[in-house]
Amino acid sequence: MNVLKINGTEKTFDSELPDTLAALLEQLSVNAETVVAEVDGRIIERSGFDKTELHSGQAIELVRFVPGG
Amino acid sequence: MNEFYDKLKKATVGIAGLGGLGSTVAVALARTAIGNLIIADFDTIEESNLNRQHYFLNQIGEYKTDAMIENLKQINPQVKVKGYKQKLTAGNIPEIFAEVDVIAECFDKAEQKKMLVETVLTKMERVVVVTVSGLAGYGRSNEIVTSRISNRLIVIGDGKSGTDLNLPLTAGRVWLAASHQANAVVEILVDEIIK
Repeated sequence: MNVLKINGTEKTFDSELPDTLAALLEQLSVNAETVVAEVDGRIIERSGFDKTELHSGQAIELVRFVPGG
Repeated sequence: MNEFYDKLKKATVGIAGLGGLGSTVAVALARTAIGNLIIADFDTIEESNLNRQHYFLNQIGEYKTDAMIENLKQINPQVKVKGYKQKLTAGNIPEIFAEVDVIAECFDKAEQKKMLVETVLTKMERVVVVTVSGLAGYGRSNEIVTSRISNRLIVIGDGKSGTDLNLPLTAGRVWLAASHQANAVVEILVDEIIK
């Protein structure tokens, strides 16, 4: 089974998992410019999004920023 | 009770951005008698800021950093405040906020918010960051929540109400988020041993 825990909720992928964090963000339509990502508690810098391979069972936190302050 | 105030007195808190969030967090933390604040903003005060930011008519045109130092002195002169009037970047944030225990992210632009959080988490060991996403509009008070994402990352807001949706920034809702921030900062300083 291909499962990722995204922001605390398990998401099952019917086909293959997106192979990288960058591919996952694209699939979820999340703008890489305005998101902070952690994989299994480790912060991933934006420059590493396309080098970070994903594996079933990982926990991913995506903090999406919207403007205003 | 003494231990509570001792911890706050010894603490250093960074405030990145002094708009609706940052000016409110600064006032709240000065009233709470945090020992040391490091505040930073490159901008000057405009009339349109006064609907939610803690400045006065006679301060229009002044640097927000200078005006806030002046205002905090009137509120609680015991707080030591260090101010920076420059644009914060991934390059200078670790230096400017080197001494802080916690940093409150109080920027306006989404890209800047991300930049600060990423910089703190990758380059500043042990510093906790309290950030905000989603505070625009009015009403829906109870949708603004504090979430602990990981050890060093706390996110406040409703996660969706941005000014990009053409929502207004109103004092009540902005201050709600800022109060969550100030409250989270105090909790971190008092309940967690940092350094």
